[in-house]
Amino acid sequence: MTWLESLGAELSARGVPPRDRDLIVLELNDHIKCEPGCDDRLGDPRELAVKFADELATSRARRSALYAFLALALTAVALATSQLAIEAAGGYPGFTNGISLLLFFPALVGIFFAPQVALVTGSLAALRAIRRRRTPRLPAAEIGLITRRARIALLAGFGTVAGLWLYLANFATRFPGWYLSLMGGLSVAAAVALAWAYRDLRRAQTIVSASPGAAGDVYDDVPLIGWRWLRNRPWRLGLAGSLIVGVGATAVATHAERSLQEGLQRGLIEGLGCAIGFTLLGRSVGLFSNRVADPQLANSRLDDQPDG
Amino acid sequence: MPNDALGGQLDPLILATIAEEPAHGYAMLQRLKQRSGGTFDLAEGTVYPALHRLERDGLLTSSWSTESGRRRRIYRITKAGHSALETRRTEWRIFANAMEAVFG
Repeated sequence: MTWLESLGAELSARGVPPRDRDLIVLELNDHIKCEPGCDDRLGDPRELAVKFADELATSRARRSALYAFLALALTAVALATSQLAIEAAGGYPGFTNGISLLLFFPALVGIFFAPQVALVTGSLAALRAIRRRRTPRLPAAEIGLITRRARIALLAGFGTVAGLWLYLANFATRFPGWYLSLMGGLSVAAAVALAWAYRDLRRAQTIVSASPGAAGDVYDDVPLIGWRWLRNRPWRLGLAGSLIVGVGATAVATHAERSLQEGLQRGLIEGLGCAIGFTLLGRSVGLFSNRVADPQLANSRLDDQPDG
Repeated sequence: MPNDALGGQLDPLILATIAEEPAHGYAMLQRLKQRSGGTFDLAEGTVYPALHRLERDGLLTSSWSTESGRRRRIYRITKAGHSALETRRTEWRIFANAMEAVFG
């Protein structure tokens, strides 16, 4: 096997996309042809492939996180429009006036809870990608964290769009044609953007990085919540977050509905939703500190690690 | 010279070499070696990931041409690359002057 064939095989083994792999091999082929016999000065093809893969995995993961955020922003526009335009479309139809409650309740989950998951995980993915934009090679664990956050955010985005479609289907006979057309168009545009971002993310995830190091957690992303009493006991963050969301939702709903009972109901549901989301997704998206077992690491920050 | 010994100066060295004239990878390495009087005789393969990274960061741009029947990738410095190079040059001069002053 020639040096170039070895390089091509090593790049493939690390999941470097065929187009990138072929261009790298083509470029190195030109180098070798410039001075026949210089292969030995190019170094070990395996080490070179690892370097290419590590840097490409880093850059594609960051890019996919930002694409995911943009696609989610479009989804947020669709969702916000559905709420802002509803008064002009005749107001909320009332949940018993639709085709079926079997459509209404899944729609409610999609419209109320999925956007919150998308907002938190999508923002955390984009925040990490932006904070670490100058680092050429991120640890494989950190790349995994960014892509996991982006993946969960995009799936929640799809959940939001599905919720909108179910909502429109359930009340199709109650809403005017212009509202159905507007929301249908916006939600299809959001779905296309989400699918495009998801495709980019899947491609980024095929590239295998071997760079060592820790993934870090939410305390690295948001220094304001980096207090030790929160970091050392992850459930405290979940509890504090759920209480803040619950109290906030109670206050907003009480003011909007002019009813404390209505406000408390909404606040309880939002707070419980936050606690369930934290429990189910906390570890995957880095809300739990994974360094509490080591007191020295527990007090360090990800930025203390050497870059790449 | 191992690339590690450059202590993070590989990127500005590549930018400075390509700022002089657009070049493909091999020509850039030869120019770098020549201008440094043979001191910067780098591990050649590892320069390519750096070239690709600088292109992704928008500091270099590249185009393909055909030379003697084979495809060749030519790198050019961008406006952002010139600006980054100027910044690194200034930082280096401050550092070098300080070192010189201390060494005497």
